[in-house]
Amino acid sequence: MKSIKYLAILFFSMLTVSCSKYLNETPQGVISSQDLETPTNTDAQVIACYSSLGNDHYYTPWSSMWAYGSIRSGDAYKGGGGPGDISDFNALEVFNQVNPTWGTIDQAWYQLYVGIAYCNSTLQLINGLTDAQYPNKVERTAEVRFLRGHFYFLLKIMFNRIPWIDETIAKANYGNISNTALTSDQLWTNIENDFGFAEANLPVTQSDLGRATKGAAQAYLAKALIYHAYTQDATYSVTGIDQTKMNRVNTLCDSVINSNVYSLMPDVADNFLPQFRNNAESVFSIQYSNNDGTVQGRLDAGHCLDYPMNVQYGCCGFHVPSNNLINAYKTDANGLPMFATFNNNDVVPSNDFQTNTFDPRLDHTCALPGHPYKYQTDLLYDGSWARQPQSYGYNLSLKEVVNYRDPSFTRFAPFMSSSKNWPIIRYAEVLLWKAEALIQIGQQAKALPLINQIRQRAANSTSLLVMANGRPTSNYKIGTYQDGVNCSWTQAYALQALQFERRLEFAMEGYRYFDLVRWGIAGSYLNSYFAVEATRTPHLVGASFTPHRDEYLPISQNQINFSKGVYQQNPGW
Amino acid sequence: MITYSQQKLTIMRKLFLLLPLLLLAMFSFAQQKSLTGTVVNKNTNEPLAGVTVQGKNAMAVTDANGKFTIKVADGESLSFSFVGMNSIQVKVDKTSQNLKLALVPGENNLEQVVITGYTSEKKKDMIGAVTVVNVSEVKDIPQGNVMKSLAGRVPGLNISQDGSPNGAVGVMMRGITTLNSNNPLYIIDGIPTERGLQEINQNDIESIQVLRDASAASIYGSRAAAGVIIITTKTGKKGKTRIDFDASTSLQYFNSLPPTLNTVDHGKAYWQAAVNDGQDPNLNGIYTYTWNNNFTSPSLSAVNIPKYVDAAQTMLSANTNWYKEISQTSFLQAYNLSMSSGGERGSYLFSIGFFDNNGIIKTTNDTKVTARFNSDFNFFNGRLKVGENLSVTYMNDVLLPVTPINGLPGYTGGSGLFQLAQISNPIIPVHTVTGGWGGPVAGMDDRQNPVRLIYDFNQNHNNFGRVFGNTYIDLAILHNLHFRSSVGVDLAGNYARLLQKPYVSGFLSSPITSAYQTADYEGTFSWHNTLTYDLNYKKNRFNFLLGEEQVKDANQNFNGYGQGLALADINYAYLSSTTSNILVAGGGSGDALLSYFGKINYSYDGKYLASVTLRDDGSSKFGVNNQWGQFPAFSLGWRASQEDFVRKALPIFSDLKLRYGWGQTGNQNIANNATQTLYQSIYGTDITWNFNQGTAYNISGSGTGTMPSGYTPIQQGNPNLKWETTTQSNIGIDFGLLNNKVFGSLDYFTKTTTDILIQPPYLAVLGQGGGTWYNGAKMRNKGFEGIVTYNAKVGKDLSLTFTGNVATYQNKVLYLPSSVLTAYAGNGTTQTVLGRSINSLYGYDVQGIFQNQAEVNSAPTQPGDGVGRIRYKDLNHDGVIDANDQRFLGKTDPDFTYGLNTSISYKNFDLSFFFQGIKGGLEYNNYKYLSDFTSLAPGSNWGPRTLQAWTPTNTKSTIPALTLTNANNEGRYSSYFLEKASYLKLRNIQLAYNLKNISSFKKMQRAKIYIQASNLLRFKNKSNPIADPENPADAYPIPVVITGGINLSF
Repeated sequence: MKSIKYLAILFFSMLTVSCSKYLNETPQGVISSQDLETPTNTDAQVIACYSSLGNDHYYTPWSSMWAYGSIRSGDAYKGGGGPGDISDFNALEVFNQVNPTWGTIDQAWYQLYVGIAYCNSTLQLINGLTDAQYPNKVERTAEVRFLRGHFYFLLKIMFNRIPWIDETIAKANYGNISNTALTSDQLWTNIENDFGFAEANLPVTQSDLGRATKGAAQAYLAKALIYHAYTQDATYSVTGIDQTKMNRVNTLCDSVINSNVYSLMPDVADNFLPQFRNNAESVFSIQYSNNDGTVQGRLDAGHCLDYPMNVQYGCCGFHVPSNNLINAYKTDANGLPMFATFNNNDVVPSNDFQTNTFDPRLDHTCALPGHPYKYQTDLLYDGSWARQPQSYGYNLSLKEVVNYRDPSFTRFAPFMSSSKNWPIIRYAEVLLWKAEALIQIGQQAKALPLINQIRQRAANSTSLLVMANGRPTSNYKIGTYQDGVNCSWTQAYALQALQFERRLEFAMEGYRYFDLVRWGIAGSYLNSYFAVEATRTPHLVGASFTPHRDEYLPISQNQINFSKGVYQQNPGW
Repeated sequence: MITYSQQKLTIMRKLFLLLPLLLLAMFSFAQQKSLTGTVVNKNTNEPLAGVTVQGKNAMAVTDANGKFTIKVADGESLSFSFVGMNSIQVKVDKTSQNLKLALVPGENNLEQVVITGYTSEKKKDMIGAVTVVNVSEVKDIPQGNVMKSLAGRVPGLNISQDGSPNGAVGVMMRGITTLNSNNPLYIIDGIPTERGLQEINQNDIESIQVLRDASAASIYGSRAAAGVIIITTKTGKKGKTRIDFDASTSLQYFNSLPPTLNTVDHGKAYWQAAVNDGQDPNLNGIYTYTWNNNFTSPSLSAVNIPKYVDAAQTMLSANTNWYKEISQTSFLQAYNLSMSSGGERGSYLFSIGFFDNNGIIKTTNDTKVTARFNSDFNFFNGRLKVGENLSVTYMNDVLLPVTPINGLPGYTGGSGLFQLAQISNPIIPVHTVTGGWGGPVAGMDDRQNPVRLIYDFNQNHNNFGRVFGNTYIDLAILHNLHFRSSVGVDLAGNYARLLQKPYVSGFLSSPITSAYQTADYEGTFSWHNTLTYDLNYKKNRFNFLLGEEQVKDANQNFNGYGQGLALADINYAYLSSTTSNILVAGGGSGDALLSYFGKINYSYDGKYLASVTLRDDGSSKFGVNNQWGQFPAFSLGWRASQEDFVRKALPIFSDLKLRYGWGQTGNQNIANNATQTLYQSIYGTDITWNFNQGTAYNISGSGTGTMPSGYTPIQQGNPNLKWETTTQSNIGIDFGLLNNKVFGSLDYFTKTTTDILIQPPYLAVLGQGGGTWYNGAKMRNKGFEGIVTYNAKVGKDLSLTFTGNVATYQNKVLYLPSSVLTAYAGNGTTQTVLGRSINSLYGYDVQGIFQNQAEVNSAPTQPGDGVGRIRYKDLNHDGVIDANDQRFLGKTDPDFTYGLNTSISYKNFDLSFFFQGIKGGLEYNNYKYLSDFTSLAPGSNWGPRTLQAWTPTNTKSTIPALTLTNANNEGRYSSYFLEKASYLKLRNIQLAYNLKNISSFKKMQRAKIYIQASNLLRFKNKSNPIADPENPADAYPIPVVITGGINLSF
């Protein structure tokens, strides 16, 4: 019986193994939020904020904005394998099929808030450190606020009514912040405050070329203000132009110009060639990279669908310039744009780029059959490379793509893209914001040379636009505006010239639609565009813009549901 | 007081009374002979020791070799009975000598011993809902995973499978229990594991018990909510040394491929779509048409196919049937050899199995080698038993992208091979004129040539190894007090190496030659200690169990990737050979469980049965506040057939048992550190299909080189997390009628899961890693299960067995946090899944097709409507078709599932066939995107149903008019895509012939040859165009498997 006793004791001692210890499992391969509270890790989190700039994806291309700002503007068709291929984008293009339950709307919203959440948590980390611990405290704060301003800016122009979350709000309370807590005016002010802080505290230049600078912050502040200056009522009609804000835009642009850091590149092409990354025209660009230790590289994934269907490239034929846009590059006898008549005669079906005259920016922007593809005289763009000509014709977009032999070009089958930087603000835009502000405050005469500066640079940008034998690809003729000579530079004329110039210069760069909304002309402009363009391409039959609703995207139904009704849907949806 | 003489007298009297009987006996003796014989188990041909042989006047018991000797008279009947076997009667005649008898194991053997969680009990005493699987019915079906063969055989057990050679299946018990993993817990020789049974040699399995209700399962506590399946492997039997050899070869082929269009028909469908759209059909890159150019009454005279598909003239136009190109009729072989021996001192079993399955997709293959060594040894006159079970498995699989593999470097096709075979255009040739790969050209989808994927990937293999086993001691401290301690290990490791070759395939191409090496290990260590004590006091019988168990899991993985291999050769494709873009990754995690449990079984006179269980589980996955969960259970049983009054009143019942059980089980299946807020250093992720979740940024602006990076939040902690609990009640009847000729059981259960662990989608403003685990949902299943068997013997040689079972359940979501409602069917606000099945389907209601413009004009506003288009129902009567016009359209839950097994045994022949089916329920037909539409995937190949689509002259069609532009948004979730899911399948049919009796080889104890077929016949709802309703979209089709095999024992 003794042995039984011992065995029983042994057994019960086994039962009483220190249970709390046994169940202690240290998390593996992860760190806690407390571990981040060091200057080194805080600096690393600032990098994480920057990384959000380029962490977009073809389904939510907010770095390039082409799906939100280009195909909704009349400048481009969605492209790809017919309207069913990413049908959400087709709906964005034709407007009347947009649905608040769609994933792409939800995901874009989510991912922009991912960027904002990084910024807010990093600001909290920075605020937890003293100046002594973290000598870069103010400068890093300014960088992060600049980035937060960028993400909020994008949300604002896409969705209009958005919840404002900053570093002062505890995570537990996020669910209580409504997208209607702040007025549109207050949201703009908050965004401007972020850029304002950045502008006041950032250095003029950075040794890390990817970091935001004073000039970038001044330019972005000008950009926010120029949107804010067009006052909108509840139905998105533009009711007035805030002169004070326009004056500030003018001053801010002057600061950028007078900093002598920036200048126009000699050829407009330089902005979209990988070898000129971080050039003098780049005020703020997204830094992409390859051979950088990631699987495929940190590539411009947002544009990865925009290459042609041929052996040198291979996918996917998205982002097709509209016939209307191609026609807009026609010039008159003076080399000036044909504001009223450019679209009367459709140049695309005739493929006649020799007898008509064109702004050289046509061949920097649009891939046209028979023309060198991205300046490759040995690789003429061919109609057979088009994905779905019956839906979208034969053309493609050029600014975002690269020569397939360029080291920045990287495949990740079935897709491909490049590590070429993508400009968020280039100096040309600063010049045209200043011009726009001057025109809107009645100083259009001062705007004239600014616009002409852009046109003159375009006129000089022909050296790459040649065939193998040296002949110009198209018949180029471009002139500057000369008051009293080839035009009468009134305020109305100047505004028209400015608006047209912005289109020609920044076409396919992703923001055209937001210009139209800002100017209050989106509805009328797009519906008249559809009326003509639907006769040229079947996919636009039935497309229509509903004013007072379609200016902004609906708030994702998911987010409204997750908010338990705290979020309000935008009017009309 | 009785005196001595009185006593003596009494004895004398009795002797006198007995005398005639003794004389009679002596007289009889004179006419009797001594008969010898051997008794064996009919199924195994093993000799049966201890069989009671009862004659009229004599009785004998068989010895270790199954031999007996008994005195009998001619004309007398002998009865042979043995625990677990059906008794038989044999009449002795003059010729009778050296009898050979075979006993058949009884189907409803009430004396059968069933393992029910750390202990065992006799079937007649069981009061939980436990199904004992008849392993002999399924052991010869070469499925690579015995669970596949159980589909339809165990009521309430739902097996979802496809045809992939690897054999992985989904197993679900009694409906969906939780919103997390519904996989049951497997207990293999006492060791808990959640890995599937494809890694266990099915020939090694001695018994399978399925614990369906909580009163049976709750002894396994924390991981038992989704049911428990107990597997016991074979051991050596006392008696002779024995060698078993089993071999089978199978032929496999598809009988369920979805049809696709050929090149001409694809052209026709395109023409019709273009003409319907009023668009010039010749405006496409490939086909030209000869037609009347009349859009109002179009007629097509010829589809002209160009000589070459591509402008560069490298691909001749073809008429490729991509399914044929990727598939094959293939062979499957299975061999198994086992040797066992047993004696007084112990026993051992050694087995080795080889399984080689060439899949039906070309070059797919699963090779599996298993070895097992089970042994036990007795010491101190059997008071101490020491034993071990050890199995080693090696599996090798060809790594083809059969189902979509995203995120695996080296494969970025976006679709699985079957999808690709469906999508790929028939005009594309497999090869170019120069022997390169054919591929898509402009106008087609950016999807890979599936044949290229097969031949560019089949050099890549996954190697899997697993060591699984335990050692135990069992000490009889007293004859009725046992201490048992068992230490188990389960080590599994994977190793794979992938070579990605450069290729050009149409407009798809890649110059990259890369190598990818990956390895992961996972290990589980478990140790349990139990004390059992049996106490019999008069008619009271008690069994006590007290135990403790600890389980620790750990896993680690690492992988590396690099590009720039000088040779595209698998023998060169190691990481060290790569020269650029070299990436490494690795991770690991672990968790621990600590449990205490006890159980008391009680029975009074074999009539009244009761059991109480309590288990206390601690898990490292939960916060300190809620680390421990208690899982109690009790059950009560009444063997009414043991009561005299029942026997008298209901003599038809040979067995009748009523039972009731109640119990709780748990689930802890969540991320390991869900209670904590954590960050991870993620440098960058694969960007092919998803956005980059890394935090590195080229801040220097150089465009290349190593970058600084930060930390990615991965989750928000919830320190208050606690166990998810499933509470189950079960009421059941076990019955036997007519001497157990008919027997079965009926069970009704309710199963309610509360505090279901969910990680709901969250408000976007929380940013990346904003997900938090909550105890959020509540769900209930109610159901009924019945199984009945009928055994009949017709004449001497023919015996029949029919087993039928039926099961049904109804699922209802009782509670979900409002924030997660949108993640389930419904609109999340006014129409939600609350009060409905979690498997509800929600969408638009299709009301046919617009036949003419007048119908279109008078219908509610529907963006994109038109003649020939789908007409949706205006459910809220507001005159507009929008998101508010959706309703619940049904659910995927079947009304009931059923199985019917028939075995016919005639002399040496055995024929069995097994039907399985489901009735009711709907399924979503993904394939309709391609089979019925030219607009939803315009660059793909389509199905032949497109040729029957609606046109002004074919107005009876239910398929909407073909179009190239999906303006009407017809891909929306609607009743158009829902099909009736009912089916009935002939799962298995087998004919076996027992050679034993014709064999002259004496040592042969068993010899059987058989031929069988799996998945041979299929019946489904006529309206359902899905080829195999069991396996609707995009999965590996389930093949027909025809097998010939042999079982031999010496």
